[in-house]
Amino acid sequence: MNQKTGPLFYTAIAAFIGIVIFPFLWVLLASLKAPLYLYGEYAFSVKVPEYTLHNYISVFTNHPFGRYLLNSFTVGVLTMLLSISIAAFASYAVARLHFFGKTFFLGILLAVSMLPQIATLSPLFLFMQSTGLRNTYAGLVIPYTTYALPIAIWYMTTFFKQIPVELEEAAKVDGASLLGIFGRVLLPLVSPGLFTTAIIVFVDAWHEFLFALTINTKQSMMTVPVGIAMFQGEFTFPWGEISAATVTVTVPVVLLVLLFQRRIIAGLTSGAVKQ
Amino acid sequence: MPLKKKNQWKEGRAAYAMILPAVLIIAAVALWPLLRSFWISLFDLRLNDPTRNAIHYSYSVNVEQYADRLPGLLRTVKREAGNARDGASPGLSVAQKKLEAVSGELEEDPAFRERLAQVNGLLDAFSPVPQELRFIPVDNAKAERLKAELQGIRKELIGLKADGSLERPDEVIGLTSALLDTFQAPNFVGLSHYKDLMSGRRLWESLGNTLFFTVFAVALEMLLGLLIALLLNRTFRGRGLVRAAVLIPWATPTAVSAMIWHYLYDGQNGIVAKLLYEAGLISDMGSLLSSGSMVMGSVIMADVWKTAPFVALLLLAGLQNIPASLYEAAWVDGGSRWKQFVHVTVPLLKPAFFVALMFRTLDAFRVFDLIYVLTGGGPANSTESVSIYAYKTMFSELDFGKGSALSVIVFVCVLLISMVYVKWLGADVVGRRAG
Repeated sequence: MNQKTGPLFYTAIAAFIGIVIFPFLWVLLASLKAPLYLYGEYAFSVKVPEYTLHNYISVFTNHPFGRYLLNSFTVGVLTMLLSISIAAFASYAVARLHFFGKTFFLGILLAVSMLPQIATLSPLFLFMQSTGLRNTYAGLVIPYTTYALPIAIWYMTTFFKQIPVELEEAAKVDGASLLGIFGRVLLPLVSPGLFTTAIIVFVDAWHEFLFALTINTKQSMMTVPVGIAMFQGEFTFPWGEISAATVTVTVPVVLLVLLFQRRIIAGLTSGAVKQ
Repeated sequence: MPLKKKNQWKEGRAAYAMILPAVLIIAAVALWPLLRSFWISLFDLRLNDPTRNAIHYSYSVNVEQYADRLPGLLRTVKREAGNARDGASPGLSVAQKKLEAVSGELEEDPAFRERLAQVNGLLDAFSPVPQELRFIPVDNAKAERLKAELQGIRKELIGLKADGSLERPDEVIGLTSALLDTFQAPNFVGLSHYKDLMSGRRLWESLGNTLFFTVFAVALEMLLGLLIALLLNRTFRGRGLVRAAVLIPWATPTAVSAMIWHYLYDGQNGIVAKLLYEAGLISDMGSLLSSGSMVMGSVIMADVWKTAPFVALLLLAGLQNIPASLYEAAWVDGGSRWKQFVHVTVPLLKPAFFVALMFRTLDAFRVFDLIYVLTGGGPANSTESVSIYAYKTMFSELDFGKGSALSVIVFVCVLLISMVYVKWLGADVVGRRAG
C-alpha cells in the first residue's frame, strides 16, 4: 500500500513514538537527577542543578541488585538452553515426521500456552517446598521451561518447515540416518530460527514474575522483576534508585532487541500469521 | 509396500522419541499440577496451622504429643482421685477407667504400640522426633468413637469442676483437651470452598474487576493496535527504527513497567498525574492511584501502553501478508480507500486480528504482575483481579485449599473464554497458531 506520506503522517508517527518512549526518557532523566531534585519543586523539571550517577552506585551498594541480575541471567540462560534442546527435537518431529497423535500433541501445546500459571501454582509450590527446590535456580528453570516449550516448539516448527524437503531427501540418498540428517543437515540450517527462539524464551524468563515471587523468596535468590518490585521503602519510594535499576535492566534487553529486531519480529509474528 | 510400512513405523518411533522429553515435562509440570490444584481445592489445607498443613485422607494420631500428654493426664487424674473429698472420687475413678480404656484401645494395635515405644525411646533420649514418625493413621470409625469418648470424659470433668470437687480442675480439663488435639481429623471438605467463595462478595467483585479490565484494556489495545498498524503499513523513511521502537515496551518486564507507571502516577512527583491535573482531567493529582473509581483506569492505561504496540506489530505482519496486487486490482476497479479497507484489508486481516484478540483476552484475564506491583489490588480491593485474590489467599493467608479453589476458578474462566473463541472463530484459525 504505497500511500503518500505527508506532514500529518509524520506528526502522527512522532506522537506515537513520543508516547511509547516518553516513560523511558523520564525514568532515565530521574535516574540521573541528584535524589534531592526528584521531589518538590524540581520534580517536574528537566533541568536541575545537579546530575549524578549516585543512584546507579547506590542501587548496587545498598541493594543486592547485582545478585538479582546474576540470578535472572542464570535462570534465563538455563531455561533457554533446556527449552531449546527439548524443543528442537519436538519441533522437527512436528514439522517433518508423520506420527499418530500429532494433532493431539499440538492441541496439548496450545492448551498449555493458554493455561493460567496460577492454576498450577499451589501444587508446584508445595512440590518445590517438599523437595527443597525453593530458592534454587532449578525451582524456577523447571516451570519456566515447561511454559516456554509451547512457544518454542511453534516458532521452531515454522523455521523447520521453511527448509526445503529436497535437502533432507538428498542426505537420505547419501545414506544419512534420521539423527544424522537432523544434527548435521537441519540444525545448522535452522540455527537462525533457534537463535531467535532462544532470545524470545530468554526475554520471557527475564520477565516472569509470579513463580519468581512465590518460589524464590530469599533475597539472595530473587530475580530482577521481583527485586525491583520489593524496592519500595517503608514509607517512601526511593524513585532515584528504582529509576536507575529500571534503566539498568531495560537497556541490555532493549539493545538485544534492537540488534535482532528483524528476527524477533519474524519469530513473534510467525505464530499469529502463517505464511 | 511392506518397505514403506516399515519406514513409516520407524519414522513414528523416531517421532515419539523426539517429542518424549517435551511430553514428559509438560505432563509433569503443567497438566499434573493442574489436576492436583483441583484436588487440593477439596481440602482445608492451611500452611500456618500444624494440624492442617498437609492433606489428610484419614484420621491419625500425633504419637509424639500422645506420649507426652497421656501419662501426665493419667497421673493428674489419679492424684485428683486420691485427694478428692468424699463423693467426688467415684466420678474421677470412672473417668480414670475410661481414659485407660481409650489408651488401651489405641495401644492394642501392634503398629501403634511399636511406634509409641519408638517415640518414647527418642523422647527419653531427648532427641527430636522426625516428622515421618510423628503421625500414625487410625481407623476413622475407631478414631471418632475414641474422640467422642474423650469428649464425654471432658464433659464429666467440667461437671466435677462445677461441683467444686476438683483441686486443680483446669489442669485435668486442659490435659484432656490436649489429648483430644492429638487426633488429627481428615481435612477433606469437598466443594465447600467453592460454595463459600460463591456466596461471598469478594469473588464476584474480583471477577467483575477482572472482566472490566479485560474488556476495556483489550478493546483499547486492539483498536489502537490496528490504528498504529495501519499507520506503519506504508513505506516511509525511518520505518525500521519505528518498528524497533515498538518492541521496547514489549522488552520491558511487566513488573518493571508497573514500577515506571507507579512513578509517573505518583500523587506528588508523578509527571503523568501532573499533566492530567493541568489538563483538568483529574481534580487531584493523588487520585490516579488512590481513588477507587480512577485506579482501574490507571491500570488499564499502563497495560495499553505496554501491549498496544505489540498488538500493532502482530497486525502489521498480517497487513504485510496481504498481496499488493489485491489493492492494485481494487484501485483499478475504482475503489476508494475506504472501500479498499472494507473489502480487502478487513477480510484478509481477520484471522490475524482474531488470533491476537484471543491471546490478548486470555493474557488480560489472568493479569497479575501489573496490578500486583502498581496497586497491590487496592485501594479497598477495587483493582483486585481473581489471580491477585488467589495469590493473596495462598501466600498472605496461607490458605492453600481456598486459594487453589480460586486458581481453579481462574482456570475454568480461561477455559470458557477460549472455548467461546474457538467456537466463534472455528478451529481453523486456532489451528494456525499451532503451526
